[in-house]
Amino acid sequence: MINFEAQGDELDRSVAFGCDVVCENAQAREFVRSWLHDAKLPWPGPFQITIHVGGDNPFPPDTRESFNQPSLTVQGGPPSGAVRITWTYAPAAAEVHATRPEAVVWLSPEAVDAAEAGERSFFLVVLIFLMRRLGWYHVHGASFIDPLGRGWLMAGDSNCGKSTTTALVASRGWKVGTDDIGFLAREGEHIVSRGMRTTIGLRPGGVALLGAKGGRYLQDRNKEAYWPEELGGGWAPIVTPEIIVFPRLGERTSVVRAPARTALSSMVMWSIWVLCEPQFAQEHLDVLGQVARQSRCFDLTLGPDLFDHPTLLEALIP
Amino acid sequence: MTKQYRRHDDIRLTAMEGEGVVLHMGERRYFTVTETGLVILEALKTPRTFEALVDAITNEYDVTTEHAQRSVQAFLDQCLSSSLIHESEH
Repeated sequence: MINFEAQGDELDRSVAFGCDVVCENAQAREFVRSWLHDAKLPWPGPFQITIHVGGDNPFPPDTRESFNQPSLTVQGGPPSGAVRITWTYAPAAAEVHATRPEAVVWLSPEAVDAAEAGERSFFLVVLIFLMRRLGWYHVHGASFIDPLGRGWLMAGDSNCGKSTTTALVASRGWKVGTDDIGFLAREGEHIVSRGMRTTIGLRPGGVALLGAKGGRYLQDRNKEAYWPEELGGGWAPIVTPEIIVFPRLGERTSVVRAPARTALSSMVMWSIWVLCEPQFAQEHLDVLGQVARQSRCFDLTLGPDLFDHPTLLEALIP
Repeated sequence: MTKQYRRHDDIRLTAMEGEGVVLHMGERRYFTVTETGLVILEALKTPRTFEALVDAITNEYDVTTEHAQRSVQAFLDQCLSSSLIHESEH
């Protein structure tokens, strides 16, 4: 059983809540431990991941309907209520308990060697379902705080400009929560976004638009990785959204106010696990509804002109 | 025999500015609904007749009974075809 070392206030809570990784395989244990540690998230409660390496997949066949994602299937809901996550990139599977924040993970030796490739797929989805049992709900989005102190949530798919925009605003001194992986949670009367602390991954086009220097090449994602601080920004461990934008790429940067129905359906789309597990769905949906209600919501078209007029976002959404 | 309608148990919904989004957990689909649709789905937490739903709309909005009947029927048909509601005879 591994307990994290305390490094600052946020991580003190990790230790206090005892987020435990149980694994006899040192390579797998250290990988998961480091990954969770580097996320710099103040875990909302205790959770446990028990990892078995090698041998055959210990989980029986699951005939429930599956959500299919690239190299990943997820099965949840009745009758067992547990969530089964199967990784096809390298043989691996996990089962998250129906109600308790406990996961059992099986990794083939190939999956241990390929673990880094699972950071944003297999391991992330296991974490998403663990956190759901603790009242944190995943959103596929970036978050940041502008110089006026306003919290932004930019929810959308890969390839819609989230990371490039995040890097741009970081280069202008904004504080960044995350460029991709957020957890929505109740905090007092508001919904906040807790960002998973990761580097901002820029494709070659984004690097060129931004004129960014340095960075570390991520071979498996074909991206250059930057910390917000390297671009001139800061880190915001918690963002209270006041502005939500749903971006897409276009010729020119523009915004239109998103009607209520569009805003709600977009929040569902970018927090799609709300459709899995009936026992958590209403609270998850209520959190999505509340964050949309507490914010002004916009459909945002991102054009190359944003890089010629970097203050355009604030001008369009004063 | 009277027909009654009721929301499917697999339905979850939330509202914003009078409009809503509805999840169908069994079908793993989601729908958006207008303000009047939301009023009807809220009412269908418990079994209601067509006439009771029309009353709910005419009490809430300044519309004629005929207009409300057409709107309610169209909405119920959509909900039935999407399995958002059940129909039963009593």
